[in-house]
Amino acid sequence: MKKKRIILLSLTLTAVLGILSGCGDGAATEDVGTEVDGRTEGAAGNIQGSSVFTGELEHNVTIRVLENDTAISKGYAKELLDAFNQEYAEYGIKAVDANMDQYLDLANDGPYGYGPDVLYQANDVIMQYTEGKHIYPIPVQEMECYDQIPEIAWNAYETEVGGNTYCCGVPVNVQAPMLYYRKDMLPENWETEWDKDGNGVCDIVENWNAMYAFSVLRHEENPLNYGYMKALYDVYFSGGFLFSYGGYLFGENNTNPEDIGFSAGEAEKGAWVLSQLAGAMNEECIDNTINTTVYGKIADGTYFATLSTPDVYSTFVGELAKAYEGEGMSDKEANELATENLMMASVPKLPESGDLSEENPSLLDPKSMGGINGYAVSSYTKAPNACLAFVEFATSFEMMKLRNEMLGVAPAREDVAEAVGGVSRQLYENLEKGNIILMPSIREVSQIWTPGETFFIDIAKDAFRNAEEKKYKELPDLKKGLEQVDSQIHDAIFTLK
Amino acid sequence: MKQKLERIMSCLKDSSGNVKLSLVIMGGGQFRYGAKGKGILFFLLQLSIIFYFITRGFRDIEGFFTLGTKKGDVWLGVAGDNSVIMLLMGIFAWVVLAAYLYFYVMNISDVYRMQKRLEQGRRNPTFKEEVKQLWDKKFYVTVLALPVAGVFVFNVLPIIFMILIAFTNYGGTVVPPELVDWVGFYNFKRLLSLSQFAPTFVKILTWNLLWAVTSTALNYIAGLFLALLFERDCVKGKAFWRTFPVLAYATPAFITLLAFKFMFSYGGPINQLILSGGGTAIGFLDLDAKWTARLIGLLVNCWISTPSIMLLATGILSNRDSSLYEAAKIDGAGKWKQLLKITMPFVLFSTLPVLIVQFVGNFNNFGVFYFLRGGLYLDGYFLASDTDLLINWLYNLSINNNYYCLGAAISLIIFIIISIISLAVYIKSPSYREEDTFR
Repeated sequence: MKKKRIILLSLTLTAVLGILSGCGDGAATEDVGTEVDGRTEGAAGNIQGSSVFTGELEHNVTIRVLENDTAISKGYAKELLDAFNQEYAEYGIKAVDANMDQYLDLANDGPYGYGPDVLYQANDVIMQYTEGKHIYPIPVQEMECYDQIPEIAWNAYETEVGGNTYCCGVPVNVQAPMLYYRKDMLPENWETEWDKDGNGVCDIVENWNAMYAFSVLRHEENPLNYGYMKALYDVYFSGGFLFSYGGYLFGENNTNPEDIGFSAGEAEKGAWVLSQLAGAMNEECIDNTINTTVYGKIADGTYFATLSTPDVYSTFVGELAKAYEGEGMSDKEANELATENLMMASVPKLPESGDLSEENPSLLDPKSMGGINGYAVSSYTKAPNACLAFVEFATSFEMMKLRNEMLGVAPAREDVAEAVGGVSRQLYENLEKGNIILMPSIREVSQIWTPGETFFIDIAKDAFRNAEEKKYKELPDLKKGLEQVDSQIHDAIFTLK
Repeated sequence: MKQKLERIMSCLKDSSGNVKLSLVIMGGGQFRYGAKGKGILFFLLQLSIIFYFITRGFRDIEGFFTLGTKKGDVWLGVAGDNSVIMLLMGIFAWVVLAAYLYFYVMNISDVYRMQKRLEQGRRNPTFKEEVKQLWDKKFYVTVLALPVAGVFVFNVLPIIFMILIAFTNYGGTVVPPELVDWVGFYNFKRLLSLSQFAPTFVKILTWNLLWAVTSTALNYIAGLFLALLFERDCVKGKAFWRTFPVLAYATPAFITLLAFKFMFSYGGPINQLILSGGGTAIGFLDLDAKWTARLIGLLVNCWISTPSIMLLATGILSNRDSSLYEAAKIDGAGKWKQLLKITMPFVLFSTLPVLIVQFVGNFNNFGVFYFLRGGLYLDGYFLASDTDLLINWLYNLSINNNYYCLGAAISLIIFIIISIISLAVYIKSPSYREEDTFR
């Protein structure tokens, strides 16, 4: 009994001393019980990281890295893992492919030991894991890439818990729609007829009015050919048309699910633009079959242009090269010509009036829905420091540049965007200007897709309905349709909440 | 019940000291009667169950009621309670307790039987003889023990788990590490009191019933037709022709469904043919295509399900009594009459339980419209489309939103509807009422 009392007294004393020593200086704070510390305190923005990141690398550990399927299939993931393993061989740290589905659910798998240690996913997916604290807050301000990545990209990974700001992911690349088109199919006289502003860039790829006019013309010349073609149901691509006229997903910077804004501002003008574009397409714009056939149809010249993400650039070029090879060109010639003719550009500007047939429209910068893919560290990892080292390595200048070269994705790092130039630079600038509306990082975002898709299918279908069957004859009809989308999303989120 | 209790009481009064010993220490009585092996086995069983309950069983039962009291926080290094695991382990603890009670009663009745045998001057079987019986007279026990245990662990436990989830608030934002709570009938109340639900529920239920009846009948008739066709002598290369439906059956249903979706899409081969023939593209499955889409759903489901009925009917038809047909022929019955009066009653009698299973399967056929025409919320429907079945609606409302508790509650409601229909049909059927007709 006496012995027990002595032990108890010693433990109490140790605890009291521990707490008192914690009051002394900042360094000692790490030794007390609190696991989330403020090691980066004092820096601008004051983003906190978890104290599991002590900087002491765990030795002889294997970390499982979940990369996306494209990175694996194109060989980038292997290059990254090999380079990292070589760099950290002396510590016995080995990074391996997690060999899991890229859309895994860490919240359900992680607690039972099935998830990866490091995961690469879109910001909206990663940030859903913060609710259950399934991923660690990362001390991002101590990372080499911190100053190179714009604030807006970091914001996508920030969350507030108990009045503190945490950052739970490291941005890697920007995803946003880009216009793909065939340069060789531009009208021969475009410099005299299709460059009204005389800036040396064809209006067809600069504004939707010219694109629409060209699409109509192209189809009239040959009924089997089309200008711009895209499956309109896709909220990711069509949403931007609404946002350009004042629409939004959720209020308060996409954080308030009570405020749904598909119909906000003059979003109906964006819906009208889509409806007019549908009129210059064929019925394939109603469903999703076009998604698989578009590469071939751009390559064989059936379509002139489409919207897609930068990560499929190599697929477009590959298909076009294949078409050229079919015409008898050598592999090298075909690839060179395909790279020359397949162009990727920013999304064209929109008419302020929403009328695509307007002759000399005032134009506005388009907004588009986008995402930031990045790395996060699972809270269930046994080697957080090794994981952080991996993230640090994978977001270095060299690896991000290699990622861009191999996958064509637009880097979130300014220095890499600067170095590679072109579309990556444009995307980076669009992100900085706020023209890329990042996917909300709240779980309610999962409820926008079905109501949004139904509406966009409906306006695409409307272009092919008989005059008396048309549902959206005027702008107020489109407004009403968008309000219904808002109400459906609200119902989906809150009815059973 | 009263009689049973009286019997137990009289047995207890009548019991010897050895029986009373077994009441306290399992296997004690058996051991003293000389059945040492059996006694030790019972004792070890009791010991291991007591050990289980001391080490975690009681805690699991407590956890079953509380579903956790300490919320975990990975960032703070706080290992909290996982309500879902606690519920699962709690159910398991109850199952172990039930198994313990079962073995306990078995132990008492066994030792009482031993006492009675000895009182009657008969010898009790040795342990070896009893083990031998498990390979002979009680072979069914040996064979069924493992499957029954498997059914309990892999079927009964998840079903109980799912039923209990309907009485919790599990789902939405309440997922581990958040703590789940018992909420009684709150989920059911919420479902019944939501005004938006009723009109959609009625529409979907009506279509669901129509779908289930029509698709079951269509699949059945098509399967029977194919079986009868391939039975005919005039068909050459029967095995070859039978291969095609079997191939359709062997292909995973979702692949078939996606293939059909592509075929009927605007860019698919059917529309390409229509366009090349100078026609205009048809939206077979688009949002205006209510009845066309429903019809395509029925036909595609028929394509997927007919082969199984065909195979079943082929087996049953091979057992037909040909003398009945000969007699009918002599009596002047034509082929149609023979089909209606001999073939159909015979096949229906044998396949009605399967037909009910088919009906249940079709009633809950999630895949057909999810793959063919999923992702639409249409006017006049609350978060559903005009081809959605109750199971698809359930998915939209609950699983899509991670509201597992509501999903479980709706599943229970669907289960009750299907059970009532299936039982009513089965009890009225000749398969149940005239069991010996074709024996």
